[in-house]
Amino acid sequence: MIDRSDRGKLLFLGSIAVSLVLVLAYLAAGGSDYAPAKSQDPCEPREWRDPEGLQEIAEQFSLSALDGAACKLGVSRETLARALATEEARQRFAEQYGIGDEELAAAIRAGLLRAVGDAEEAGALSPLLGVPLRQVLRSIPLDEAIELINNAESLLDNAQSFIGPAEGLLEQFLP
Amino acid sequence: MSEAPRPRSAALALAVGLVLADSSIVVLALPDIYRELDTSVTAVTWVLVSFNLVMALAAVPAAHLARRFGPGRCAAVGLGVFAGASLACGISDQLSTLIAARCVQALGGAAAVTAVLELLPATVGSEQRATVIWAGAGATGAALGPALGGILTELVSWQSIFLVQVPVAIVAAAPILSVARHEAATGVLNSELRRTGRPHLLANLALALVSAAIAAALFLLVLLLIEGWRLSPITAALVVTVMPIAALLGRRVGSQVPSTKTRAAAGAILVAGGLGGLALLPKAAIALTIPPQILVGIGLALVLSALTETALAGRAPQAIHGGWTISARHAGVCIGLLALTPIFTHDIAEQRSDAIDAGTAVVLDSHASPLLKIQLAQRIDERLAEQKDKVPTLGPVFEPLPDDSDDRDAVIDLREELQDQLDRGATHAFAPSFGLGALMALLALVPIGLARRVDL
Repeated sequence: MIDRSDRGKLLFLGSIAVSLVLVLAYLAAGGSDYAPAKSQDPCEPREWRDPEGLQEIAEQFSLSALDGAACKLGVSRETLARALATEEARQRFAEQYGIGDEELAAAIRAGLLRAVGDAEEAGALSPLLGVPLRQVLRSIPLDEAIELINNAESLLDNAQSFIGPAEGLLEQFLP
Repeated sequence: MSEAPRPRSAALALAVGLVLADSSIVVLALPDIYRELDTSVTAVTWVLVSFNLVMALAAVPAAHLARRFGPGRCAAVGLGVFAGASLACGISDQLSTLIAARCVQALGGAAAVTAVLELLPATVGSEQRATVIWAGAGATGAALGPALGGILTELVSWQSIFLVQVPVAIVAAAPILSVARHEAATGVLNSELRRTGRPHLLANLALALVSAAIAAALFLLVLLLIEGWRLSPITAALVVTVMPIAALLGRRVGSQVPSTKTRAAAGAILVAGGLGGLALLPKAAIALTIPPQILVGIGLALVLSALTETALAGRAPQAIHGGWTISARHAGVCIGLLALTPIFTHDIAEQRSDAIDAGTAVVLDSHASPLLKIQLAQRIDERLAEQKDKVPTLGPVFEPLPDDSDDRDAVIDLREELQDQLDRGATHAFAPSFGLGALMALLALVPIGLARRVDL
């Protein structure tokens, strides 16, 4: 039989022990890390994923271009990708961030230039072809830069979109 | 005065439990009210805040009225007003009328609860036993409220929460009517309208802090379950039933320990520990909410009863000091709700954005075909636009599954990964608020530790 005063001590110390055990157990189980994965900073270089074949190269090229454009605009790559999915999404994006078409097109061109550099570093594009490719991309008029996105209706439309022209460009310059 | 003491004491306890359950009973109905009355999260919070605020402001004046006009009459009128206002809440079709009715409901409730404390000693035979019953009924009501409200919301509607209270209030008022008639017939009010002693500041301060923490536990957990993890109200109600069950266990444990100071301190620590656990949930899983809920449930039963008993011990008149405890508890609930609502609404928006970005990254970096990625990106964007400011349900984005088996497998993987990111975002969004609630419970240890006359 536990003494009445001891019951009080037992309750007090027991409550501390149980609380600590729960908190420490949840911490040990990863409670402090259970959060959404953080988006990678688009200004940081992103490693290319084993580009094999033209389609994969074009896809990685598009993702690099997205990173570059997002970096220029100060948004995440993912936010920009959703913004470029449809015309309505692009309008919402423009309103939310106060980014006009010209600024968007300029950012996309900067992104495309970065993609060329990334492709060269990944060994997916001959450095010899980088110079003329950059010249082509630099000379794309603003409306065509926007068209490059608009026609695609998304980044990864293999035939008619951002990737399509990118792939076309690559096809011309790949050995 | 013809009723036997036992039915009357049960009716008095029912009245206290009913009124104090109302401070939390609509928690599970808030998402439904939010959608049906087309309002904002902050505005709908006022369905809760208004009731608690008026209770906090009206409890002490109501206790004075009970002393002046007779507790029987005050309790009967209070329950009548409470029943009428509950009916008005149940038929409200606008947020403004609902909030106004909730204020009136709180006025009636404050009158009833404080007057009951004056009636109980004569019914149960001792002031100390009356205090224990009164405090216990209040703690049980507060703990049971969310579960009852959730079940009614799911099975019937949010309006039924209020409509059901009308007959319950009438049943609770029936045995009190004879007391009221006796007071009216004899003209005897209370011959001892003596000066009241000062309220127990430290016990009431601790009550306010711990009530803020408990409000955080009840309110935030329900929102996490329904809005974050997208459970139905009835499932959420069943989940949070753990707390009142644990509170019953807490009452049994508490009855074995005579020191109110020890019970209050242990209770506050358990509430803090439970909230700490909720702040550190390692996964979005119902089972993981159960251990923290058990701690909060046992803790709230221990701490609310102990602090209420402390605040009332050796003080007279009981109604006035009971009024102070009601005021402190509901002020604490208001502080908890008003302090935490902007924090977690901001965190939800931030985590929603992070989770959606993480989910989009999963799609972009996946091995699905480019065409499929485009379709998913379009559907995700459309879905987000539809479910603005909420944690989105993205299941429909992946329907129908593609015919191609490779694409179908890729979509199923993507759906699971995207869901995981959303669950992470929703759970993480509540962590700072749960953590703040835990801090409030720990802060309550300061006045509990400083209080001298707490051992009955």
